[in-house]
Amino acid sequence: MNKVFADIDPIYFDYAQKYLGRFMPITREELFDLLQYCEIRRFDKRKILVNVGEVDNYLNLVVKGLVRKYLPVKKSEVILQLATEGHVVQSEISFLTKAPSMVVLETLEPTIMVSLTYDKMEEALDKFPKGERLGRMILTGMFIKKDENRYNRLLKTTRQRFFDYIEHHPHMLQRVPQKYLASYLQIKPETFSRLKALLAKRKN
Amino acid sequence: MLDQVRQFIDQHIELTNEDFQTLASKLQPVRFDKKTKVVDIGEVATTIYFVLTGISRRYFYRGKQEVITHLVKEGGIMGSVISFLTGQPSRYILETIEPVTALAISKNDLEALFESDKKWEKFGRRIITSFFLQIEYHNLDNIKYSTRERFVNFMKQNPDLVLRVPQKYLASYLEIQPETFSRLKHLMVKEK
Repeated sequence: MNKVFADIDPIYFDYAQKYLGRFMPITREELFDLLQYCEIRRFDKRKILVNVGEVDNYLNLVVKGLVRKYLPVKKSEVILQLATEGHVVQSEISFLTKAPSMVVLETLEPTIMVSLTYDKMEEALDKFPKGERLGRMILTGMFIKKDENRYNRLLKTTRQRFFDYIEHHPHMLQRVPQKYLASYLQIKPETFSRLKALLAKRKN
Repeated sequence: MLDQVRQFIDQHIELTNEDFQTLASKLQPVRFDKKTKVVDIGEVATTIYFVLTGISRRYFYRGKQEVITHLVKEGGIMGSVISFLTGQPSRYILETIEPVTALAISKNDLEALFESDKKWEKFGRRIITSFFLQIEYHNLDNIKYSTRERFVNFMKQNPDLVLRVPQKYLASYLEIQPETFSRLKHLMVKEK
């Protein structure tokens, strides 16, 4: 194992292996070959990782903590993603096109991420056996997810979106201020409170 | 007609003439009448198309209402792309608006190409990246801009589509109520 990673909790490697394993089978040895191209980055909570106008040079896998991605809109903001352990987060358009970011990335908890710069990513995909395949599969996975989110947003009612999200992410109500969840689900804060009360009633 | 394909590919990746010939040999010319359902809900899409002429839409149903998520014209790629990539039944209908001529490639041929050399994997990644970016730009624009701004931006960027695509389809694609769309269009004509 590379000594840079010697003090890292092995569970973080499990997240990385699990993430990549969704796209192709990958051994622990192959994982460590790939990790040579990565950095481990640690941040305090409430730290801005990328601001509007900056170019995001990183692809990040969250291994501990919580990052929110939001789009400033006039005097307000809309949360696009709440990324926890095992999730990939970045300013995608900026990373892929090198354009200034339209969105902000900010940690909400102390956060550790495995991060890869664009150039290192291209190098890894070029050198690693089947790297280009892995790269294509990852992008394909990201695209499918994006399409699915859009489909669900257009298909589902506010109420369905709320109940689906809470069912799949029950712990998030404890981890994140309610107004952030409401923003992420594009639900008015008052409606969110009402639905939450409904949820409590259902459980009883 | 292969020039059009070459132009499209050159935007994404550098290919030698020989590589391009390899790809071109897999392409089958096809033609669809207007209002043809190319892929229906529940079917597995095994082909995607590079559009040479014409225009198509992709949509699904919310209750009885059609929700249009994509409009593709000449120079673009049409298909029920998620079904094509995952092998799962399509959630979308792909239907032509105008008659469409296109070059088709099958999933098997494309997979074989990916297997043959990593440069084709990279080519695949670049194309998927462009699909990904398209959705993300659309998402961010929808959040960032008001209905009116979205309408004006679209009209400026796609003056041809305004003439070629029925108004109700454009309204659905832009997530604008049909009545609001009409009102904004009248307003725009007046301002001119």
